[in-house]
Amino acid sequence: MLYVGYHKARHSERPRAARLTQSSPAPDFSLESLDGKTTRLSDFRGKAVLLNFWATWCGPCKIEMPWFVDFQKQYGSQGLQIVGVAMDDASKEDIGKFAKDMGVNYPILIGKEAVGDQYGGIPGLPETFLIARDGKIVDKIIGLRGKAEIEDAIKEALNTRPAASQASASDNAVTSQPQK
Amino acid sequence: MIQNVAGMETILAARINFAMIDQQTESHDPRTRGVGRMCAALALILLSTANLSPSQTPGKAPSLTMAAVPAVTAQRTKQTMVDLNFRVPHGYHVNSNSPKSEFLIPTALKMDLPTDIILGKISYPAGADMTFPFSPDEKLSVYSGDFTIAVGVHPLRSVVPGKYVMHGVLRYQACDNAACYPPKTLPVSFEVKVVKEPATHHANPAQSPHVHG
Repeated sequence: MLYVGYHKARHSERPRAARLTQSSPAPDFSLESLDGKTTRLSDFRGKAVLLNFWATWCGPCKIEMPWFVDFQKQYGSQGLQIVGVAMDDASKEDIGKFAKDMGVNYPILIGKEAVGDQYGGIPGLPETFLIARDGKIVDKIIGLRGKAEIEDAIKEALNTRPAASQASASDNAVTSQPQK
Repeated sequence: MIQNVAGMETILAARINFAMIDQQTESHDPRTRGVGRMCAALALILLSTANLSPSQTPGKAPSLTMAAVPAVTAQRTKQTMVDLNFRVPHGYHVNSNSPKSEFLIPTALKMDLPTDIILGKISYPAGADMTFPFSPDEKLSVYSGDFTIAVGVHPLRSVVPGKYVMHGVLRYQACDNAACYPPKTLPVSFEVKVVKEPATHHANPAQSPHVHG
């Protein structure tokens, strides 16, 4: 009876957050950026994406943001795109002010709970996903971790080839980037 | 770099147990598969509670708790202070009522009292100035462990003596050493017994000090 009750309760709950694992395709989404443009994750196809969920009230997030600014400067030319998603109740203006104060040089999108659910629910912040050029998740970092550790994950994401070029590369047996 | 949070291994082990039990029972009576899964579920509960208190469940936002408030008697026309005792789960902290940054969410109590019972002063404790691994150069004003907020209740003369329930919510936002969790609210309620104010003594004209010759 307990078992039946458990199953009944499970199925009557709201849809559960997606469970993502390494090498899962990163779910696409569409969110408004601070400058009012609609941005999709797929707009960055072919780039390695560091997708960072954060909030203005999150102290550890504040520590990471200057690192992300540095990484965007250092690895942007190699194909890294950092994308911040603000999971905040604060106004767009306040989020913009915060980002400006932090010297953010990458797009900040206004998050929605539904997008958080696509990425497993985001129970705590910061939470960061490293997405390879082929659109697959290569790493997930929950909470504040060391800068060097994040940089290693960025390098790993950069050392992948876009999905479209994978087929042609294997046809031609030419690799310009080391393959995982 | 997949997270290695304390207790995850236990949950992972229990998940593996599910798979193993399924494999072992699949070729036999399918009814035993359910029994096996129930055993695994019980094992998971036992293992989880052995290593983790509810407040330490990885990836789950912590919840503050409030101790039951002992009986409070409030006299009409006077303010009575009521202590509300809260507990922050071990390993977490919440911002004090006066955090040091405009972006941090203060711990704040909002009360909604019955008609003619006026909300008096809400007295918050001073936060402890602490540094954290995520903020080594900046001290944050926080509450951790147990803290007390005192609330003033002031029944007016029009209040009929009796028991009244005060309702409110405590809004807070918790963090641990590496992550922060979305703001939450804790319902707050306590009972106040309103009693009459002492009768005032009026001078009795019959006992006038004036001496009439």
